[in-house]
Amino acid sequence: MEQPVQTEVWKAQTLQELIQILHRLFSSDKVSVEEVQALMESYESNPVEWMKFAQFDQYRYTRNLVDKGNGKFNLMILCWGEGHGSSIHDHTDSHCFMKILQGNLKETLFEWPGKKGTGAMTKKSERVLGENQCAYISDSIGLHRVENTSHTESAVSLHLYSPSFDSCNTFDQRTGHKHKVKMTFYSQFGERTPGATAVSQENN
Amino acid sequence: MEPQEAAGAAGGGCGGAGLLELELPRRGAGEAGAVAAELEARRSGETRRLVLSRRLSGPLPAGLARWFPALEVLDVSGTGLAALGAELLELPRLRTLLAKNNRLGGPGALPKGLGQAPLARSLRVLNLSGNRFAELPAALLGLRGLQSLSLGGNRLHSISPEIQALSSLEFLYLGGNFITSIPPELANLPSLSYLVLSDNKIQSIPPQLAQLHSLRSLSLHNNLLTYLPREILNLVHLEELSLRGNPLVVRFVRDLTYNPPSLLELAGRTMKTRNIPYAPSDLPGNLVRYLSLASNCPNPKCGGVYFDSCVRQIKFVDFCGKYRLPLMHYLCSPECSSPCSSASQSSTSQSESDSEDEAIVAAHRMQKVLLG
Repeated sequence: MEQPVQTEVWKAQTLQELIQILHRLFSSDKVSVEEVQALMESYESNPVEWMKFAQFDQYRYTRNLVDKGNGKFNLMILCWGEGHGSSIHDHTDSHCFMKILQGNLKETLFEWPGKKGTGAMTKKSERVLGENQCAYISDSIGLHRVENTSHTESAVSLHLYSPSFDSCNTFDQRTGHKHKVKMTFYSQFGERTPGATAVSQENN
Repeated sequence: MEPQEAAGAAGGGCGGAGLLELELPRRGAGEAGAVAAELEARRSGETRRLVLSRRLSGPLPAGLARWFPALEVLDVSGTGLAALGAELLELPRLRTLLAKNNRLGGPGALPKGLGQAPLARSLRVLNLSGNRFAELPAALLGLRGLQSLSLGGNRLHSISPEIQALSSLEFLYLGGNFITSIPPELANLPSLSYLVLSDNKIQSIPPQLAQLHSLRSLSLHNNLLTYLPREILNLVHLEELSLRGNPLVVRFVRDLTYNPPSLLELAGRTMKTRNIPYAPSDLPGNLVRYLSLASNCPNPKCGGVYFDSCVRQIKFVDFCGKYRLPLMHYLCSPECSSPCSSASQSSTSQSESDSEDEAIVAAHRMQKVLLG
């Protein structure tokens, strides 16, 4: 992705419109990170539009596929119950956009572990993202852990990954050791994927 | 977390068979009366879900059960209630009660007689997160049918052992309190499958917790744990275990405060390890009892026994160098340990990768849990 000479400013009024504009943006060879981030932020979350994708699991967070982006990206909705969090993970050389649709999510950034992964991983920064905010991360920025730290409210987030990927590495915070995991969808296009349990990634 | 039917993200509006969502006026004199009047005006024998979403200045109206006798789900979260009263006791079919983010917690926050009310049999889900409870309210101990209880984000300093009375409990959320220890009685909940104890001040886990055979998910992150009891390897159905944010011991640690055994202990050990025969008539009754209490040293290579005097040793179960879980072992003496560490002088790196044979088998199970 590069910065184009003129950055268009898009406003998506609905989730459907957001998806349509994303399709248009990604049909070109050059897509700007800033443009996509601004577009994702411009959509004001309306629960009625995404309710059918927001399928929660009581044990852990879920990944619910919304759109396959004509093969250029995956758009999905993640549902986080109270206290649910992810492992520290990378993004398999892809771009990752994360927009909060409901509630709050804490994002903790980590440095890549050193060679051989010895010793505790270094925390770079952390922040709490609020409704409608959109964060961006890629492997060149670092690794992160995402958690719903609320004990009373659930959270919902909208994720775009380009190119799409179905496996990534998770990292043990205490040692830096990594482990490859496959990721699955709890539901696709609003339909529960039979047999697929919610992602059981290392949550340590 | 309550089942999906109650964890709805959608906004309000009436409509949908059996759903009544009531938006209250922001202010006005006699607001409590206005709420009662509006609810009475919308009374229905068919309404199954009622959501009140504005601040209330007083308690819930007493006529609630008369106006909505078929009510199954009641959501009064964020209404500012300081107490739930007798108006609940007459609701015969209530299955889900959500009262998050209120001012509940003082004496009388829950009505007396809750355990004898019809809803003691019907209630399955109770969410009291984001309130001010400093201890488990005794009134709810009679809810024998309760499957899901949340007291997240309250002010609990301990968990009452009487919680074992909630014999149907499957889901228990206690994250975000000030809990310092876990009562072993928690292990007497036979159906418990999801236990959240994160963001507390817990220093140790009782080994009895390993008796929770149905446990699928255990959340312990952000506490004060330095080790786990080795019995935790027995939780064969565990699929998810969170441990981050605990000061888990990373390096091999020996307990240096080993107290030398007493003469009684040494004599007892000699009797046992040399199989010196004795009959109950040979010894005073208290010594016969004492001899029956010998524990075997967990080191399978050591045939030793101990009575009261043992060394706590933190042993690391290493999953192919990827993860280290400090587990608490009891050994009969500081000299007793697995062959590798006693043979080698450079104790740290060598002993960190040690695993007892039995621990390796259990470790494979735990590896699956921790690494997915």
